[in-house]
Amino acid sequence: MTNIKLLIIDDEVEFAATLCQRLQLRGIDATDMHSGGEGLAVLEKVAPEIVILDLKMPDMSGLDVLAEIKKYDPGIEVIMLTGHGSAGSGMEAMEKGAFDYIMKPVDLQELLEKINSAYEKRGKA
Amino acid sequence: MKERSNWLAKILPPPSDNIVSGADLDRGYKNFSRGLFGILIVLVLVPLAIISLLSHHQYKHLLQQRELDQLFLNLEQAQSTIEKFVAELESVIKFVARDDRYHELLEPKELQALFVRLQSEYPGFVDIEVVDSHGMQKSYFGPYQLEGHNYTDQTWYKEVMLRGVYISNVFSGFRHVPHFVIAVSRKHPQQNASWVLRVTIDGQTLQNYVDTISTTYADDIFLVDQSFTVQTRPQKYGKISEKCILFDMGDTIEKNFKKRTVERFMMVQKASDMIIVQKSFNGQQILQGVSELVNTPWKLVMVKEQYLYADAWFSFKIRLTTIFLSCAIVAIFVILEIGKAITNHLRESDKKREQFLVEAEQPNKLASIGRLAAGVAHEINNPLAIINQKTGLVQDFMEMSDDFAYKAAMREALDGIQNSVERCKKITHRLLGFARQTDVKNEEVDINVIVREVVDFLAKEASYNQIKIDFDLDPDISKIYSDRGQLLQIFLNVTNNAIDAIGSNGTITLSSRQIDPKTIQVSITDNGPGMSLEVQQHIFDPFFTTKETGKGTGLGLSITYGIVKKFGGKINVRSEVNKGTTFDITLPVANN
Repeated sequence: MTNIKLLIIDDEVEFAATLCQRLQLRGIDATDMHSGGEGLAVLEKVAPEIVILDLKMPDMSGLDVLAEIKKYDPGIEVIMLTGHGSAGSGMEAMEKGAFDYIMKPVDLQELLEKINSAYEKRGKA
Repeated sequence: MKERSNWLAKILPPPSDNIVSGADLDRGYKNFSRGLFGILIVLVLVPLAIISLLSHHQYKHLLQQRELDQLFLNLEQAQSTIEKFVAELESVIKFVARDDRYHELLEPKELQALFVRLQSEYPGFVDIEVVDSHGMQKSYFGPYQLEGHNYTDQTWYKEVMLRGVYISNVFSGFRHVPHFVIAVSRKHPQQNASWVLRVTIDGQTLQNYVDTISTTYADDIFLVDQSFTVQTRPQKYGKISEKCILFDMGDTIEKNFKKRTVERFMMVQKASDMIIVQKSFNGQQILQGVSELVNTPWKLVMVKEQYLYADAWFSFKIRLTTIFLSCAIVAIFVILEIGKAITNHLRESDKKREQFLVEAEQPNKLASIGRLAAGVAHEINNPLAIINQKTGLVQDFMEMSDDFAYKAAMREALDGIQNSVERCKKITHRLLGFARQTDVKNEEVDINVIVREVVDFLAKEASYNQIKIDFDLDPDISKIYSDRGQLLQIFLNVTNNAIDAIGSNGTITLSSRQIDPKTIQVSITDNGPGMSLEVQQHIFDPFFTTKETGKGTGLGLSITYGIVKKFGGKINVRSEVNKGTTFDITLPVANN
C-alpha cells in the first residue's frame, strides 16, 4: 500500500488537498491537482499509478480527462469521484476504462479498499 | 353572446366556480339544479298555459255564439207569432167595423149582438163602444157604466183618427183590471166624417198567448212597452205595470247596445228590430234578447240564464283542467329527473376532472421538485465532502498525537460531526435517488419472494416494537417483469412507514392477489392510528411528513409513488382514523 504513486484531480481545492493530506498520512505518495488540464500536465512528472478523478469539473469533464489519461498510459488505474452519485455516469466511466467509482462524501475506508484493489490489479497486469 | 351567457350564468351558476369547500360545492350543485329546474319549468309550462288559455277562450266563444244563435232563432219565432196574433185581433175589429155599419152599431141591440158573437170567438173581449167624429161616445156595450164619454182630447182618439188604427199599452184605468184597447176609425159614407169602433180586451188574453209560446230554452219571456213598463207577467224579471228591472239602472237598450258593442261586439247580434246583449244581472251572466213587435206598442223580452254553465262548458273545463294538470305533473316529474341526471353527470365529470388534475399534477410536482432536490443535493454534497475530509484529517492528527487535555471529549465531538455528515449524506443520496428514478431493469420477479425479503429486512425492528407481521399471499400469483431493487424500495418504504405509524404493539398484514391476468396487487395493512383525509391528500407530496423533525425526509412515499407510476402501476391509500391504514399497490404483470 505504501509508496503508491497517486494523483488526485478535483476542482474542489479544499477537498482535494485534505484528501491528499490524509492519504499521505497513510503512506501513499499522493499529489493533488485542481483542474483537468493541470492534472494532465503533471502526468509525466508525477507518473501516477492510480488517479482519483472528479467526474464534474469546469474546464473539461472527468470522462474527457479519463480518455486522455488512458491515451497517455492505459496502465494507469482511474477511480472516478461522482458528486451526484449517479450509478449511470459511474457505470459509463467504467465502460470507458475507469477501474471503479466512489460517491462523495467519500468514506476513506472504502476509498482505501478501492485503491488497494486497483493497485493489486495493476500489479497482476 | 357575452351578455347572454352572463344572464344565463346568473340563473345557472356553474357549480364548480369559486368553490372553497365541499359544502360550497354542494350548494353550487343545488343552485345549479334549482336554476335548471326553473328554466325548464318556465319553458314547458308557459306554452302549455298559453295553449290552454287560448283553447278556453276559443271554446267559450264558440259556445256563446251557439247560445246566441239559438236565442236569436227563438226570439224571431216568438216575435212573429205574437205579431200575427195582434194582427189577427186588429183585422177582426176592422172587419166588424165596416164603413156602412155605423148606424147599425149605434143601436144597442145590434152592438150587443155583435159583441156576443165576438166574445164567443174571443172570450178576452171586455166591452165595445162606438165613438162619433167629434169624439163623443155614441153607443157602449159591456159590464161597466161608461156611456156618454167624451174622448175628443184624448191621445188615443187623436191617433186613431190620424192613423186609422190604435193599440194601447196594457193599463188598469177605471176598469181596475189590466186591459188594452184596439180602436179602428172608419169613414162615414154619407157624412164625410170618421167614426171609431173601440174594443177593450182583457190583459190576460195577451198573457195567455205569451204563456203558450214560452219555450223550454228561455228562462223568461214577457212584453214591455216602449218605456220598458212590463205588460205581461214575467217569471222573474219584474211585475206587471212596473218598470222592468232588467232596464232599471237607467240604461236604455240603445245605450246598453252601444256599450256592449264596444266591449263585446262578438256578443251582440242585431237584426233590424232585434237586439241581444250579454249582461250581468245580480251577479249572474244572462243573455237578454229584445225584439220590436211591429204595429204594436210592445217589445218582446226573452232572457236566457246561466248560458255559460251548460253541461258542454262544464265538461270542457273539467277536461281542460285535467289535461293541463296531468301535463304539468308529468313535465315537473320529467324535468326533475332530467335536472337530477344532468347535475349528477356534471358532478361526476367535475369529480373526474378534479381527479385527473390531481393525477396529472403529481408527476409534474415530482419532476420539478426532483430537479430542485437534485440541485440542492449536488450543491450541498461538495461542502459536505470537505467537512467529511477535514474532520477525518483532524481525527487522523488526533490519533497520531499523544494524550492531551480534552482528547477524549474532542474525539467524541469529532465523532458527532462525522455522524451528522453521515446523516446529511443519506439525505442527499435519497434526494438524488428521488430525482433520478431512471434506470429500470426488466427481470422476472416473484412478488411473494420480494415481499418476504422486505419483511426479512425489517423483522428485527418490528420485533423490537412488538409488531407482528402476517402474510396473506396468493401462491399462484403471476410472476411479473420489473426492477427487483426498486420493487424492494417500494415495499420497504411502505412497510417501514407502517412500523413507524404503529409505534409499538400492532399487526401488519402483507397480502398479494391476482386482480386479472394482466394485473397483480400487493396490499400492506396496519392497525395503527390511521390518517385524516387532510393527511391522506398530501402523503404523496415530496417533503410531507408527519414524523418528528429529523426522523423522516418526507420523500419515501413520493419516491414510491414515482416508481409505481413509472412501472405503469397504481398506489392507493385507504385509511380510517383509529382503525388503520391500507396501501394497495397495483402492478402490471408485463412492464412496458
